[in-house]
Amino acid sequence: MARVVEAPASSAASSFRRRPWVRRAGPLVLLVVLVALPLMLPEGANDTLARIGVFAVAVLGLNVVMGYTGQVSLGQIFFLGLGAYVTAYGVTNDWNIVLVFVLACLVPAVVGLVVALAAARLGGLAIAMVTIALPIVGVPLAKRLSDYTGGSQGLSARFTDAPEGTGLYDDQWQLYLVFLIGGTVFLLTRNLVRGRYGRAFAIVKGNENVASSMGISPYRYKVLAFTIASLIGGVSGFLYMVVVQYTSPETMSFGHSIELLVAMVIGGAASIVGSILGGAFYVVVPDLTNAIDPSLTALLQGALLLVVLFLLPGGLASLPRALTRGRRRSRAGRGPAAPPTTPSSTTGSGTAAEEPETERQGHA
Amino acid sequence: MRKHLRSRRALGIAVASAVAITLPGCAREVGGGGDGGSGGEASPGITDDSITLGITTPLSGATAGPGTCTVAGITAYFGAKNAEGGVEFGDGKTRTVEIEALDDAYDPQQAAANYDQLKDEVFAMTAGLGTPTNRAWRDAAIADEVPQVLIMTGDPLFSDAEESPWQLGFVPIYQNEGEAFGELLASSGQDHKVAILSQNDDYGEGYVEGFTSAIEGADNIEVVEQLTYEATDTSVDAQITQLAASGADVVFNAMSQVPLVVSALQKAQQLNWKPSWFLPSNTSSPGAVLEPGGGAAFPGIYSVSFAKAPASPAFAEDEDVKAYLAALPQYGNYPDPPAFPHCQWSWMVGATLEQAFSEMTEPTRENFMEALRSIEDFQAPLMLPDTTVNTTEDGQPAVSTVVVQKYNGRGYDTVESFE
Amino acid sequence: MDKFIQLVVDGLSTGSVYAALALAIVLVHQATGLINFAQGGLAVLAAYVAWWLTNQGVPLVLAILLSIVFSFALGALVERYLMRRFERGDPDTAVVVTIGLLTLITGVAGWLWTYNNQQFPSLFSLETVSLLGVSVSIRSIGTTLAIVVVMVLLQALFAGTKLGLALRAVAVNPQSAAFSGLPVGRLLMVGWGLAAALGAVAGALVAPQLTLTPGMLDNALVYALAAVILGGLTSPVGVVVAAWIIGVLENLAAVYVGFIGFDLKVAVPFILIFVVLIVRPQGLFGRKVVVRV
Repeated sequence: MARVVEAPASSAASSFRRRPWVRRAGPLVLLVVLVALPLMLPEGANDTLARIGVFAVAVLGLNVVMGYTGQVSLGQIFFLGLGAYVTAYGVTNDWNIVLVFVLACLVPAVVGLVVALAAARLGGLAIAMVTIALPIVGVPLAKRLSDYTGGSQGLSARFTDAPEGTGLYDDQWQLYLVFLIGGTVFLLTRNLVRGRYGRAFAIVKGNENVASSMGISPYRYKVLAFTIASLIGGVSGFLYMVVVQYTSPETMSFGHSIELLVAMVIGGAASIVGSILGGAFYVVVPDLTNAIDPSLTALLQGALLLVVLFLLPGGLASLPRALTRGRRRSRAGRGPAAPPTTPSSTTGSGTAAEEPETERQGHA
Repeated sequence: MRKHLRSRRALGIAVASAVAITLPGCAREVGGGGDGGSGGEASPGITDDSITLGITTPLSGATAGPGTCTVAGITAYFGAKNAEGGVEFGDGKTRTVEIEALDDAYDPQQAAANYDQLKDEVFAMTAGLGTPTNRAWRDAAIADEVPQVLIMTGDPLFSDAEESPWQLGFVPIYQNEGEAFGELLASSGQDHKVAILSQNDDYGEGYVEGFTSAIEGADNIEVVEQLTYEATDTSVDAQITQLAASGADVVFNAMSQVPLVVSALQKAQQLNWKPSWFLPSNTSSPGAVLEPGGGAAFPGIYSVSFAKAPASPAFAEDEDVKAYLAALPQYGNYPDPPAFPHCQWSWMVGATLEQAFSEMTEPTRENFMEALRSIEDFQAPLMLPDTTVNTTEDGQPAVSTVVVQKYNGRGYDTVESFE
Repeated sequence: MDKFIQLVVDGLSTGSVYAALALAIVLVHQATGLINFAQGGLAVLAAYVAWWLTNQGVPLVLAILLSIVFSFALGALVERYLMRRFERGDPDTAVVVTIGLLTLITGVAGWLWTYNNQQFPSLFSLETVSLLGVSVSIRSIGTTLAIVVVMVLLQALFAGTKLGLALRAVAVNPQSAAFSGLPVGRLLMVGWGLAAALGAVAGALVAPQLTLTPGMLDNALVYALAAVILGGLTSPVGVVVAAWIIGVLENLAAVYVGFIGFDLKVAVPFILIFVVLIVRPQGLFGRKVVVRV
């Protein structure tokens, strides 16, 4: 097991990443692009990018608990919905927006913590079934609490029109908010999963008995991962209101939770870049299939999903590796300061699809 | 508090705006923000010989059944019109009508995205199904001054001209339908015990609200049991069992799921419970609901309607019905007779739009809204006698008159009283 | 009291719908170690094939038999040409592949037969039998009995036949199964084929009650999964009993527990799962094995 922790997956891209100038210039270039992009792009593209940001954050949260810690969660959309409801309720009651944001993070985190304290006692499929209950019970619950949620008619809250004097269009302003908040969450999460906690998560994912023997409480870390995932879900709910400006029980319907799981795997489990790609898949594919033939969307979406996974079982994030595989095989090692744009898995257990045998043995 | 916040936000993005000013030639000329096309210039989506309408509606997922119908009806209507050369507008020009429909799978987020995609291409948004999916982009449509009209939701918000200046619902608000039956029952002159089973959302609540307001003060009506179900339930057997135990002789059944209505009717028969039923307009199709459900076993099945039931033998020779049934497969890509009335309604939306187009003197969205809001007593094809399209009454959707009908074993007859 | 018994009977008949799907999920799990979300989709597709055949004038029983054969072949082909690539990889990926398959199949059904509602003829009559003040339709009795028969057959297959043991061996450890000379690939195809065929039976049984649409079994899927987990992944009897318990308890809780009501009754199976699994992690009837999604 130690091998998985100490010597994580090799990546062909990492030799490029480890060049000093790339490490310094990469983040800077990225920052410039993020600042300039909303100003250059047409409105439709900004809207799409903003929605990608929303769901990329949601997928990132799911990745923390599932990709990195190995606990199947089918309830992530519930925390997005909860964050969105808290935001909508706060905004319609004219609360301070910073307070609203803090609550949109905290309320889902606390609910997630409570659920996790119970659910983390279970493992495997059982935890999947307990988390599946969240959106399934959440929808009728939201209707019952109609005084706060607006019932099935939902809540509208337009609070993200561009402030006067900025000269920005609404879509540009919204995209900046998504970049700022989403970017911060991505940076923090990246540091988390690459640090001490990330290693502990990976060990828990690899083998709980080994974790216990190393003095790492699987229960504690599962609860922690689930709580963080819920908090990030809450952030994505806040961003959902920034961009979509409307929430209803439909927002957290069970089907979307499954779609988030799909997005995570398609993007690449246990991968920061994979979360972004997963968010992109979640948002772009329905638009794409609509453009091809709106009456065949389900068929096309299913087919596309199968084709992508058939070609890249490790998800979209494994594309560069799939391309360079066989050509060169760099020595084991990790690029600790890689900018988030560089496609690669980030922790030891990130190459599940590449090394299935090892993974399986690890569980058994 | 809000103001304070705004100034802080403004500070925070000072850097960004500085970049904005220094960056010349942004790709911003193409329809940023709301361009409603004011000042007599043609709005987007209309030329001298064609007009494009947008629809966002569920075409996949659980509500794809009625959703597909909302596209099929209007596409068939204008498909037939286009084949004849097009539709004549009030400005003297003849235009073909193109429909651009997108699937939202009943996801509000996707509906809003679809709207964003369509708003600069289409002249108006229309016919889409669903309360949350229409509410998701209502504010945006108002801000952008894009018409969101003749949509398939009974949510009263869309028919409030002050709250929703660029909106108009098509189907009667749910309250109206419930009220119509409540009045009929209250005036029956007999004592009735009513059991209510309604969908747990604004749809069910609207029906029940209308019904209860109509029977308020009527001594002969007593509601003995009131239950709900979820649209995602696989069965309502337990509810029917409990309602049957209440001994009610009338069931007020506000359900929007065809399969569940069928099984509810079957279940009641198994329990040998034979009350009179009220069914909403969208789940009372003779062919798709009452026949498989064995509706003839009950003393009376009542529904409200404003559209002729195409499957009913009474209308087999009706010209409207024949034209509709011929056009649906030919132009609407809908092969067999639909189980949902949304196909008819969507066809009527087409006719109502044509009526508005004929009064439109300028190719602008403002002018269109004006024309649309001044339709009085228009008898759209497939409409029942005594019902009309009337858009001048504030607070009401395009269709607000319904007649109560009773199932006769094969189709429906309009009734004046509860027997 | 009559109402109470009637609610129990209603719950059993609803539970049978969940059980039909759950049995197919258990079968494919026993044979491949995988949770298959597409199982309901395959069942719906089979029901459409049977429905389409009856419309071409084929007698109902024959149409259902043909749809079972069709499903067996389809299931085997899906395993060979799609799932094979994922079966030994990351289990999460394989599950997501089955979700993609479900979406694809639903889309295909919608494309070929539209999203219009279709009436599926029933094998059993809708006549009612009354006993001790309780009414139940012959259709419900027939469906339930058919499911019990399938359950017994499955239990016998896994417990007492060579094929069943070989299927399980392959699912538990493909490598050592291969070393001991078992035709692993063919067995996996048979496992999927059998599960799909069983799904076809399930589809034909529940379609008359649920009305045939491409998404017919979507809502039942969650309940079926709940029954699978509650009953224990390894036991056909367990999942059927669990499905019945879920159906009955849900009804009783909705009627007799005030704060749950009909809107939150869906929470009941999940609370039940939670309580049961804390006490018995392998489920009500399951054998203790290490299972990971």
